[in-house]
Amino acid sequence: MRAFAYVRPGTLDEAVALLNEYGSDARVLAGGTDLIIRLRDRTLTPSVVVDIKRIPELAPSIERGDRLLRISAGTTMTDVCSDSIILESFPALAEAASVIGSVQIRNRATLVGNQTNASPAADTAPTLLVYGATLVVVGLHGERRVALDDFFVRSGVTTMQPGELVTAIEIPLPSAPQGSAFTRRTRRRGHDLASVTLAAAVGRDGSTRLAYGSVGPRPLVFSSDRGEPPLETWFASARPSPTSMRASPEYRTAMLRVLAHRALATARARLAAA
Amino acid sequence: MTMRINLTLNGRPRTFSVQEHHTLLDALRDDLGLTGTKECCLVGECGACTVRLNDRIVDSCLVLAAEADGGDVVTVEGLAPEPGRLSPLQSAFLEKGAVQCGFCIPGQLMAGDDILRRYEHPTRHDIEEGLAGNLCRCACYYQIVEAVEAAAHGRAHEETQLVESAVVREMPPHVVDQ
Amino acid sequence: MNGLDGVRAPGPLIGQPVARVGGEGRVTGANEYVADFHLPDELHVKLVTLPVAHARIIAIDPTATLAMPGVRCVFTAADVIAAAGEMPRFGPQFNDRPVIATGEAKYFGDPVAAVAAETRDLAEESARLVRVEYEQLPAVFTIAGALADDAPLVQEGTKTNVLRHHDIAWGEVAKATAELVVENTYHFPMVTQFAIEPHAFIAAPDGDGIAVWSSIQHPYWLQRILARVLRLPLAKVRVHAPDPGGAFGGKQHAKYEPLVAFMALKLGRPVRLVLSLEETFVAVRRTETEIRVRTGVNNDGTFAFQDIDADYLIGAYADIADRVVGKGSYIGNGPYNWPAARISARSILSHTVPSTAFRGFGNPQINWAVESNITEAALRLGMDPLELRLRNLASFGDKFVPFDTACDGQWGQAVRRVAELIGWDSPKPEGRGRGIALGIKSGPTTGLSYALVRLLADASALVYAGTSDMGQGARTIFAQMCASELGIPVERVSVVSGDTAVVPYDQQTSASRSTVLMGNAVVTASRQVREKLVALAGGDGAPTDELVRRALGRMGGEISAMGEARKDAQPDHPLGGSAAFFEFNATAVELSVDVETGDITVHKHATVSDVGRSINRLQVTMQDEGAAIMGLGHTIMEHYIFDADGRIRNLGAIDYRIPTSMDLPEEMLSDTIENGDGPGPYGAKGMSEGALLPVASAVAAAVRDATGVVVRDLPLSPENVWHALRQRDGQ
Repeated sequence: MRAFAYVRPGTLDEAVALLNEYGSDARVLAGGTDLIIRLRDRTLTPSVVVDIKRIPELAPSIERGDRLLRISAGTTMTDVCSDSIILESFPALAEAASVIGSVQIRNRATLVGNQTNASPAADTAPTLLVYGATLVVVGLHGERRVALDDFFVRSGVTTMQPGELVTAIEIPLPSAPQGSAFTRRTRRRGHDLASVTLAAAVGRDGSTRLAYGSVGPRPLVFSSDRGEPPLETWFASARPSPTSMRASPEYRTAMLRVLAHRALATARARLAAA
Repeated sequence: MTMRINLTLNGRPRTFSVQEHHTLLDALRDDLGLTGTKECCLVGECGACTVRLNDRIVDSCLVLAAEADGGDVVTVEGLAPEPGRLSPLQSAFLEKGAVQCGFCIPGQLMAGDDILRRYEHPTRHDIEEGLAGNLCRCACYYQIVEAVEAAAHGRAHEETQLVESAVVREMPPHVVDQ
Repeated sequence: MNGLDGVRAPGPLIGQPVARVGGEGRVTGANEYVADFHLPDELHVKLVTLPVAHARIIAIDPTATLAMPGVRCVFTAADVIAAAGEMPRFGPQFNDRPVIATGEAKYFGDPVAAVAAETRDLAEESARLVRVEYEQLPAVFTIAGALADDAPLVQEGTKTNVLRHHDIAWGEVAKATAELVVENTYHFPMVTQFAIEPHAFIAAPDGDGIAVWSSIQHPYWLQRILARVLRLPLAKVRVHAPDPGGAFGGKQHAKYEPLVAFMALKLGRPVRLVLSLEETFVAVRRTETEIRVRTGVNNDGTFAFQDIDADYLIGAYADIADRVVGKGSYIGNGPYNWPAARISARSILSHTVPSTAFRGFGNPQINWAVESNITEAALRLGMDPLELRLRNLASFGDKFVPFDTACDGQWGQAVRRVAELIGWDSPKPEGRGRGIALGIKSGPTTGLSYALVRLLADASALVYAGTSDMGQGARTIFAQMCASELGIPVERVSVVSGDTAVVPYDQQTSASRSTVLMGNAVVTASRQVREKLVALAGGDGAPTDELVRRALGRMGGEISAMGEARKDAQPDHPLGGSAAFFEFNATAVELSVDVETGDITVHKHATVSDVGRSINRLQVTMQDEGAAIMGLGHTIMEHYIFDADGRIRNLGAIDYRIPTSMDLPEEMLSDTIENGDGPGPYGAKGMSEGALLPVASAVAAAVRDATGVVVRDLPLSPENVWHALRQRDGQ
């Protein structure tokens, strides 16, 4: 790959300063499982790579507050899918994190990175959308919060500004029992990039939340208060790529329905058991 | 641009210079002369480059050498308890015939070793999952799984289950995608 | 074929799962593959290719590249021509392939220049700066495209892209009738070997000659090609062939060795080229094939005729692909007695990666069509597909291909055994389907292997055998054979291979030949050593240690002999020779299909091969199971994806899927039939390809059994199965 400088700030302020200094000439390095591939194939050619893993505030942590679960930027998929709170309260997130790549990939890939890369096929994105996650974004301005649904724009593009980085994900702890599930379509059982991702959550109040990805430029989330969710209306927003190698639009659209049916069934079963 | 790296490599402290844009795989193979870790896909799919970094297995093709600074790295060359002896897992691989061309084996061993560290009694499914990031085109997957299982249960000398003269290998029923 | 004088009973070592020779180095990381090896003062090479499938090369401007410090040359056709006087061309069948593209780049991935630089980084960086002025030309990369009337011709001096016709016929198919005729067209896509070790090549001047290191399966063939293109005597060309990290046919023939050799001689330094995985995808692949089969069967289940047209899309250069077509189609009818047959196959050139040998060698493709058609015939007759096959299966001694080797095995035994293993007659669990298919492949048609055995003064031994051990365990079985014949422990035998200057000639490692051919040579040599030992020791009747002491006395020394195994060419034979043996396999699968998604779950996969005699039962099992899983790969998930301009879109490991540990059948049952009826040591036959051949046909038959769905185009990916299900349901 093309040569670049590697810098390793020790504080968040240092990191923010570096990102502001270099702007689009710098890329944040956390897990590297996405970035290194792009550096090698030259879809990205930064002159500086900023390794954020030595910043104490960003060290892997999953903390339960009063009303929020806070997952720091350095937290890996392995951490996520083995965390007891997540397994208990956010099983769809654990499911999604556990199918990303292999053990080797999960030991490095970060949950935050899966969002900031803004791949439409990001496995964890639909689950975080369904759980109503928020990103904590830090810049020279200080800290701001962005709902995940307001964060994704399209493939590779988010509403982050130059010079900002995401320091944590916050997920509201469920205030009432809910059942949730994640599922996806791949080309083989072994690890694979998904051609459809889908997460669903149902509540005792009859509410339904459903999010899907990989059938359009960004993952989308929908909710209904009670009654049978208007799935066909929700699916109408899908825009599967006609040129994708992984699956045809026809198959993807059909699988949306199959996956929704299955995820909702599992979510409902989990709700009943809760 | 180069930087000095300090790390512990197979139990020995090492200091050396690396290009900042080089991966840990590059450094191991080209700077440190440890060619046991292999290069194949370079996109984190095949696992041939698997090493242990700070107590977790990673694809070294997706880790910059610089990121390993201050860390602890174990490669296949570090698995043997001492020169001339093999670890139980390495012995199991040989006894179960889990080695054909051998190119994927260093990575498989690192992944297998990781399973043994994470599970006291891994099930077949645990092993299957733990090895899922290591491709073998010779496809001796069954034998590799059996080797890890044998090492886990200290049964390195047990015979493969035979049904009459046929060889039968069983995997757990697949968890069908929802 | 000459070889051993009669089949002797195997000693106790034979059949044993003796530990793999070379295994220890593979579990410690000490074993060196080509890319692990470095020479002092080496230069690194990076290939330059064009982003199109076909182009006229107008000019190559190396200025920007050469301006980078540490870049030593930008090597092009001009440099080769300057060194050789003209562009040398090579290839295992035709001398059609230039050392490097000259005048035209003929396929996506065809190298037009090669940069040599002091470091790998430099080579990669500077290669991107080579400016090639080119004119994109129309390309053909499908069968239909290559056959079209106005198709651009791939090779100069031709009138058509059809390189050769291969026709075989007997009986009179044109006049043959049958009560049921099943006619279908099948398609087998391009797939690639995807050995985990990418190809690697090193060349270095060696005195007045050259030394080359390559992951090559045929070191002596490579030596011959290098000698010719470099105009050096064979004795001045030394090929080092470390054990390949998987090959599957994709490392049989010269690729970039001539190029790096020219570069090394020009630069006076070692040069090394290690391909990326993506580069291997544009270096080697299997032929894509379209097969039209018209099968005639009588209502009583006897076969009447088989009428096959097979079009194989080979690449821009023939490599060994035309032979693949000829040999694969020749036995395309399968292991049955057909009163009448006509098989016409064509090798068709295209602007694509030169296809080459790949496990199965043209047979998997035709098997896909022919076995699927037989299954359909059974269904339409209301007959058990197993029964239909058994009814027509060739028996030992049948001349099922009239002018070739007769059936050489108890094939019915293998078929019945696989049926037993899968539980063919037992009730099927709800929702499951079963399929059965048979596979056959001709072994080598010519062969020549020499082995040198040296019994040393301490009763240890060296075996020099030029077979490439690419995972199949060749070294191990030669050690077993030698140890068995000499009466010494197998741990005291070392096998030396992979150096043409040290190890005597071996024609090639392919066609599952080495157990038989090199095996016979090793056993012959070992027996001659044993005879000499006994003579020198003044008689038998003592352990080998003692005999050696008596024979060699105070002066010590060694006792050696050279063994030869030869199968001479038969120039009048369509394939140049009859088959030394057949690889026969019966495969049965039981699976279920998720009808909403098209996912296939293989619950049971049974595979039985007729191997004559296992020299090492564990290695035989591993080869069969490995072949079965590789077959599942092309059955369910593997294929090249092209864009509209003939460029491959899914290069590399992310979008070209091969089976992982999570993609295995829930239960794999494998067995062997061993009647000692092979021409190799102790009655062995060759094996390692058979279990791959009928996998696709068996799986598709099971899918049909489970769902009624018929798929004739591989792969049976979830999406493809889903489409077929919707068609079944009229959607």
